[in-house]
Amino acid sequence: MNSNANSNSQSSDLNGVDDTLTSHVLVCDEDNDAMHEIKGFCAANNLVGMLVQTPALYNILSTNIHLGAIFISEDIDKNGVSGIEVAVEIHKLRPELPIFIRRKEESSLTDFPEELQKIFAGCYKLDNIVALTELINRYIFGAGYPNEMVRGIREISTESIKSTFKDMDVLCDTPYLVKDKIIYGELFSLINIESDWCRGYMMLQAEERSLMNCIRAGKTQLNPIDPDFRSVNTMLSELSNLTWGGFKSRFISGDLDDSGAHKIQVPIIINHSHKYISFGSDEPQLCFRYTLVDPKGNLQPVTLYQKFVFSLSFSPENFKENLQEVDDLLDSGELEFF
Amino acid sequence: MAQILVVDDSDAVRNEVSGFLKENGYDVSTAVDGKDGLDKVKGDSALKLVFADVNMPNMDGLTMVEKIRSELGNAGVNIIMLTTESDPSMKDRGKAAGVKGWIVKPFNGANVLGAVQKMVG
Repeated sequence: MNSNANSNSQSSDLNGVDDTLTSHVLVCDEDNDAMHEIKGFCAANNLVGMLVQTPALYNILSTNIHLGAIFISEDIDKNGVSGIEVAVEIHKLRPELPIFIRRKEESSLTDFPEELQKIFAGCYKLDNIVALTELINRYIFGAGYPNEMVRGIREISTESIKSTFKDMDVLCDTPYLVKDKIIYGELFSLINIESDWCRGYMMLQAEERSLMNCIRAGKTQLNPIDPDFRSVNTMLSELSNLTWGGFKSRFISGDLDDSGAHKIQVPIIINHSHKYISFGSDEPQLCFRYTLVDPKGNLQPVTLYQKFVFSLSFSPENFKENLQEVDDLLDSGELEFF
Repeated sequence: MAQILVVDDSDAVRNEVSGFLKENGYDVSTAVDGKDGLDKVKGDSALKLVFADVNMPNMDGLTMVEKIRSELGNAGVNIIMLTTESDPSMKDRGKAAGVKGWIVKPFNGANVLGAVQKMVG
């Protein structure tokens, strides 16, 4: 039932869209044999590897919002910098990202000073790459997001987007897991999700300009003449509301337990100057990227990022899709008289 | 004096529903939340039908309905919820408060018009 890289199971719906979770990893390794091995490893484990070298690495780290982990070698690179030095810098910049270091001789980190050991989530050797499988399953794919949930979110959200934007095609990438905390665009909405099996937030992120262009082009229900930032806010808010409503109908049933657990909260930290948001949890976030395409080609494609952050609790073993209830409920737009 | 009131905190939904009803020849006014909706219902005796969202700031739609019923009684205005909510317990609460119908968003013009024709004529 759960999405897990170990199983290498493929999960496709009737439309042929693959809902098997992936994750993007930065690979800082210049050894040809290692690159070959890592490439095969990524392909076999639903990872999208992105090869990068210093100093471009730091630029990518400050802007990329997709990352699940860093694979690094302890070797000295072409610029004369050792992997360990680079890892220290990465950890300073993005401590939320797990770093897995490839070692040549040692199979552990115990020869490193204690402070240095803390920087790494783990290590592996090329002749024991199975250790890397254990690491990615522990740090990236361990959350156990049910395939039915992943597929359902994509379907609900796609329908919500289609009803919010007129005459636009909606494409969804393969869903993926991220560990990073970088905010995309200038605009995001947060809506609280509460159930007896998950507690957290749904976040929608967008660029203001591209949404503004949609309004001006008459692709929404908003007045296309002189929209301002409030118009864009309204649109994202309604889209969030529609998606959240669909999520609740499909995946949440019954009342919350009365143990008081649902009253537990942790602060959300937003640092605008670093485009950073933390929900207080390091669990991998479930991320969907939607691209809205004008079939007539008059508008630039619009990108929407959607993240589910179950930062307060997540018990996939209690997950249940309200199939029976869905049958009893109204379809969207349907009218029921009392 | 309007025949129909659309209560929703979203500009997009208010524009869409009220614009659609106006195109079909109805007099429509709008309110931005339950509090505003309650005031407008109290101040407009010509109203025959209210479309109301559930999740709104300041006062939610079901509380608004309960206040309308407790303050104005059941006579006069009919109320239909137009919402993303489809939870049976919410519908039960709506029924108990005298809500006449329930439409799940997103907006479907034919069903909204069907409701209007039944309630307003």
